Amino acid sequence: MNPIRKSLYVFVVLLITAVFLAACSGGDSAPATQAPATQPPTAAESSDEMPTAEPAAAETMDEITLRWRTRPDNQAEIDVYQSVSDELDSEMSGVKLVYEPGGSESSSYQDVLRTELAAGTAPDVFWIPGTDIADFATRGLIMNLRDMADATEGYSDENFYPGPMFHLTFNPETGNSGEALWGLPRDVSTFALYLNLDLLAESGAPDPRELAANGEWNWDTFLEVATAINALGDDIYGYGQNAWWGPYGYWINAAGGGFYNEDRTACGLDTPESIAGLEFESRIYNEYNVAVPYGEDSEPPFLAGKVGMFQNGRWATPGVRSSANFNWDVVELPDGPAGPSNWLFWGAYVVNANTAHPEEAWKLVQELTTAETQGKISALGANIPSRVSQEALDAFLTFTPPANNQAFLNGLARNPATEGPLWAGSWPEFDAIMGPAVTAVLNGDQSIDNFAATICDEANKAFNQ
Amino acid sequence: MNSHKLRTAVKYLLVYAILIFFAGIMLFPFLFMLTTSFKEPKDTFNYPPRLLPRTGLTTMLDGEEVPLYDLEGDEGRKAYALVESNIRIGVFASIADPEQTWELPPIEAKPKGGFTNQEKTIFNGEEMLVYLITVDGREIEVVQVGQTARGRFVDPDNPQNEIMANVRLSQPMEQLTARPQNYQDVVALQGMDRSLTNTILVTLGVVLGTLTTSVLGGYAFARLRFPGRDNLFVLYLGTMMIPFVVLVTPMYQLMVYIGWVDNMVALIVPWIFSAYGTFLMRQFFLTIPKEIEEAAVMDGASRLQILWRIFVPASTPALATLTTFTFLYAWNSFFWPLVIINTGNTANHVLTLSLNVLRGRASDSPNLILAGAAIAILPPMLIFIFGQRFFVESATSSGVKG
Amino acid sequence: MAAATATTETKTTGHTILRWIKAAAGWHLLLAVGGVVGLGWLWAGGGTERVIVFKVVASLLLVALTAVNALAAVDLLRLRHRGRVVSLAVNYLGFLFCLFAVMHRAGGFTGFNTLANNFGRALPFLFLALIGVAISNLGENPGANRKMVGRGITAVGGILFLFLAGLATAGRALVISLTDPTTLILFVALFPFGLFLWAIWRQPAAARLGAKNVDNEMLIGWAFLSPNFLGFLLFIAGPLLFSFYVSFTDWDAFGNANWVGLGNYGRALNLTLAPLADAAQRANEVLDVRVYDELARIRLFGRSYVIGAQDKLFWIALGNTLKFVVFAVPLSVIPALFLANLLNSKVPGMKFFRAVYFLPSVAAVVGIALVWQLLFNASVGYINYFITQITTFLGLTDPKIRWLSASDTALLAVVIMAAWQWLGFNTVLFLAGLQSIPRVLYEAATVDGAGSGRQFTHITVPLLAPTTFFVLVTTTIQAMQIFEHIFIVMGTNPAGPANSTLTLVLYLYQKGFQRFEQGYASSLAWILFAIIFAATLFQVQRQRMSGSGYDA
Repeated sequence: MNPIRKSLYVFVVLLITAVFLAACSGGDSAPATQAPATQPPTAAESSDEMPTAEPAAAETMDEITLRWRTRPDNQAEIDVYQSVSDELDSEMSGVKLVYEPGGSESSSYQDVLRTELAAGTAPDVFWIPGTDIADFATRGLIMNLRDMADATEGYSDENFYPGPMFHLTFNPETGNSGEALWGLPRDVSTFALYLNLDLLAESGAPDPRELAANGEWNWDTFLEVATAINALGDDIYGYGQNAWWGPYGYWINAAGGGFYNEDRTACGLDTPESIAGLEFESRIYNEYNVAVPYGEDSEPPFLAGKVGMFQNGRWATPGVRSSANFNWDVVELPDGPAGPSNWLFWGAYVVNANTAHPEEAWKLVQELTTAETQGKISALGANIPSRVSQEALDAFLTFTPPANNQAFLNGLARNPATEGPLWAGSWPEFDAIMGPAVTAVLNGDQSIDNFAATICDEANKAFNQ
Repeated sequence: MNSHKLRTAVKYLLVYAILIFFAGIMLFPFLFMLTTSFKEPKDTFNYPPRLLPRTGLTTMLDGEEVPLYDLEGDEGRKAYALVESNIRIGVFASIADPEQTWELPPIEAKPKGGFTNQEKTIFNGEEMLVYLITVDGREIEVVQVGQTARGRFVDPDNPQNEIMANVRLSQPMEQLTARPQNYQDVVALQGMDRSLTNTILVTLGVVLGTLTTSVLGGYAFARLRFPGRDNLFVLYLGTMMIPFVVLVTPMYQLMVYIGWVDNMVALIVPWIFSAYGTFLMRQFFLTIPKEIEEAAVMDGASRLQILWRIFVPASTPALATLTTFTFLYAWNSFFWPLVIINTGNTANHVLTLSLNVLRGRASDSPNLILAGAAIAILPPMLIFIFGQRFFVESATSSGVKG
Repeated sequence: MAAATATTETKTTGHTILRWIKAAAGWHLLLAVGGVVGLGWLWAGGGTERVIVFKVVASLLLVALTAVNALAAVDLLRLRHRGRVVSLAVNYLGFLFCLFAVMHRAGGFTGFNTLANNFGRALPFLFLALIGVAISNLGENPGANRKMVGRGITAVGGILFLFLAGLATAGRALVISLTDPTTLILFVALFPFGLFLWAIWRQPAAARLGAKNVDNEMLIGWAFLSPNFLGFLLFIAGPLLFSFYVSFTDWDAFGNANWVGLGNYGRALNLTLAPLADAAQRANEVLDVRVYDELARIRLFGRSYVIGAQDKLFWIALGNTLKFVVFAVPLSVIPALFLANLLNSKVPGMKFFRAVYFLPSVAAVVGIALVWQLLFNASVGYINYFITQITTFLGLTDPKIRWLSASDTALLAVVIMAAWQWLGFNTVLFLAGLQSIPRVLYEAATVDGAGSGRQFTHITVPLLAPTTFFVLVTTTIQAMQIFEHIFIVMGTNPAGPANSTLTLVLYLYQKGFQRFEQGYASSLAWILFAIIFAATLFQVQRQRMSGSGYDA
């Protein structure tokens, strides 16, 4: 026989044998297949998937396995979360912690989670963004921790920023806050403007940081600075933002408007204030032409040194540090006609409704949000602690550049709108209606009057009727 | 005769021009991917864009590392080191001759009449402060019409030789470089080595499985008579047209039921029963002469022996086609893995999934993303380049037979 | 292999055969009794936690099991061939069922992950084994010594490979899993199923039961088809039927499902038309805005109408999909035909160009889309840079196209990327079609004085029709299902600016796997199938018509 063909046969035969043999060994690492009912399916899955799981762990049967997950944005965060997990693992007796870094935003972290919840393979404790709390809670996917929290000594809702806690304690059945507990906030974040100091100096425009210090940083001076920088060249832009609800939400909120009405039960996008905010932003794009075209990712041109002011959250800092070739800093968002505004972005650790170990899961949630843990994570610089604690804030401020870290904290103090779920409707559906309509306005495809006349007819369909 | 030759030459030239043009379009994205995957983080965002990875040249000046720029100075073009940037510069225009402007640090312009009681004048219809500057020993009355910033560059050989220039528009001195570290980073960041193993195993499993079931099934349809055969074949043909998405939802539920969600077996077993493969093999087996088979039956060979000894060796082209298609499908599939392999733990990810996570996690580092893309794209491409004939010819036979 | 066993079997007395057959009949009786017992247990209180549907289905299965086995037993005792067929089928399926059930319960399928985990460390030994094969086989006439050495290396490498890939733990795992009673029963049941399968299949039993050649061919036929067919039933036909059922419910994948009849289809397809007093009138004055959203405005016979849709996004997605097909198919087919003709003119280096054009079709869409995403960047990307260079050179104004961020160019960008990827593949297909056209035809035409243009329209086009048909159909079907390109290249918002890149499959993904309206998603999938089916039928029809025209 031809040697090549022969070696092919040997290869294939060995491979197939290996598949079957190794296949059987899968049972070894999945003890749940023989231990009926006592072991939850989640634990079985985890030990099956974790190549690093010590075989010894399976032998000490008293120890239970808890899986938890957050959405990290880079490897440094993964490492910190992993070390936090390892530390807590050694502190919590009888519990084995397995940390799973989730996908990032663009790789559909929440979709993955929902799919796993449907399949019964989701982790015991996981992080979700604030906007998703209502969807998960009303579908019965996450556990109400109120009773356990009330029985816990030393726990108080007041230790965290009230904005997120309003939603985290909301009872959808009675419509009152303070009656439930869906989880605890991991961190908070605000917007700032990332400044290209080189472009700013070259343009000769006044320094926004000084304007902010003097209380003169508003939409007029913003426009002045943006215009001056934009005039530096054909390929230079004064301002840039990314296309999602956060950035345009600021312009709407700062003008005194908002996505919803006061009690968040109907669309509020057609109020005169909301429309005024959106109109001003639309003028930045369509009349003054001082911004990176709407919808273009502003990060690459900003990092290429072509954008003067880039509106983004704290999470953009690591990328700017590693890729920016110019001097940069941050400054607060300018005050709008209705005064200062910002977003308070947040996300929370929640407990899987089907977890086999609710008590331990609740304990883990608390451990993950202690001041000490939060200090460690915020020392990285991508997050601001969610706990109202000076210790944690101090740790946050040590991380430079940017020099003006305080700008992010000022955002928290200056009337931020809390990112919130939609208890009276479906946020994803609302977002799916609002997003394209706002894009059409900012791209100049739809008139602001037309938007005002139709948006709430469509968006109100996202609310429960 | 000569004009005929000329026309042929021109024709050939034109044909090649078009062919090369299209080849350039086909190759450029791959070239871009490869070169970018070797870039340094600070080199990834540039305008105008640059293909080759570069790194900025620096020099040591007073114990500090400073970047070098290529500037036009008193001694012609040469390397200058940037020692200070963002020096505030005022732009001053002469009151007597508004066309004439000077760029100076604001400190060099003295207020006329002192700070407390500075003189004012009407310039272009606006009231402005008057300054005095000294040019060639002569004092000139000016107003400030603008301000900007400059960088201070010095000649590293002669630090007294200084130039002020716009840093943004200056040309940095650079040299070509390569950063293979990106590949190691991606492997560490996203476990791409494990994904590669997974992809290889999944692909092998799908290809071997599909070949087995298709050969057996194709033979049964082509050469064995049994009741229900022809109706069944029509049924197979019918399902070939059904788009994959119709299957996604129920297949997902089935996997949940069996407990295969998040397991690699869900990427293999459901996909080895290919109606297309069965159809392809049947069509090919039909073309093999019956006489050979009958002779073998006379010699007492079993059906399995006939299939293995006669039919399989004779149908290399069809097998090649099926292998190619299945290979490409299994290697590149994304939608199904996206739905079914979902765990935050990347151990069971195939390459396409790892890339999908990577693009979010390293969204501000195109050099890393494209290194990941290269890891996913290059293996099949190398196989293709080495087995070009096999691939291309198999693709063509699908068109003829299909 | 069974036939081979039968021939080596020398003389088996008819008595032994008869005993085997009787034993098999007894086995089937036992199974039948088992079915009755199971039925009794089911209705006497066992499995009470199950829903009624489950009970009914299980009962039906058990009744069928009992009946089939009883039939097999009776027929076998009467020595009828039908008994053999039924018995073989029952034992074959039973054997497979037990085998896969044991494998499943022992973690055999999920263990594939473990293999991938161990594969890296085992891989070097696989190569060692292959080197051993090479040593013992390479060269003209390997000596006995070298053969021995080579085989030794192969054996050592192979064993080490298997050991490292999980052999040690595998045996232990299997034994441990057998301590579970259900697994043990399934494992034990493997033996009678296998034994009687073998006994009844053998030549003597076949002869005794009066098997004819036709019967054997039928059995072999089904046996050959069975792996494929069972998988087909389980993984293609079954899910299809299930999907069809789900499309009539509002299943959310978390376990809640209600029958909604044609509700899902109605929701997707529900359109309304309302006349407007004048072209600028607001839609909410004439439409019931609680149900309908404005989709479009049209002018008919001097009056303006507004079209309202219950699910506006479905219609937008449908429109985008059709737009995509209309642009992407010609853009990836016509240049392909052109290039194939150039390549066919026997220029040197043709193979090189053919290979280069084929490259994009080998590459993973996910990787490619990430590359194009950077190329399309409006401010720092290469495509706009090239356009700027060209327009500056020609003295034109730079269009500054926004590619992925403007609603009128986003879909076009995807079209360009997809056409780039599909072009080479189609070129190669066309080239093969061209090369199969006999040269003689062209030579004859040249003699007759036909120019190259006439040759193209009169020879190339008609004779290339089958290839063209194949290319068009496959490209159209591919284009209808466009998903991955968009999902990656559009980044965090795959639906694109103002939903301009929302296609049907993307919408289906959003509904089914982001919002978990799986019932609705299934109905969308069937609507898509209907559209693809119609498009294919249309192309088949056109192919037939043009084909008959050529014949005449």
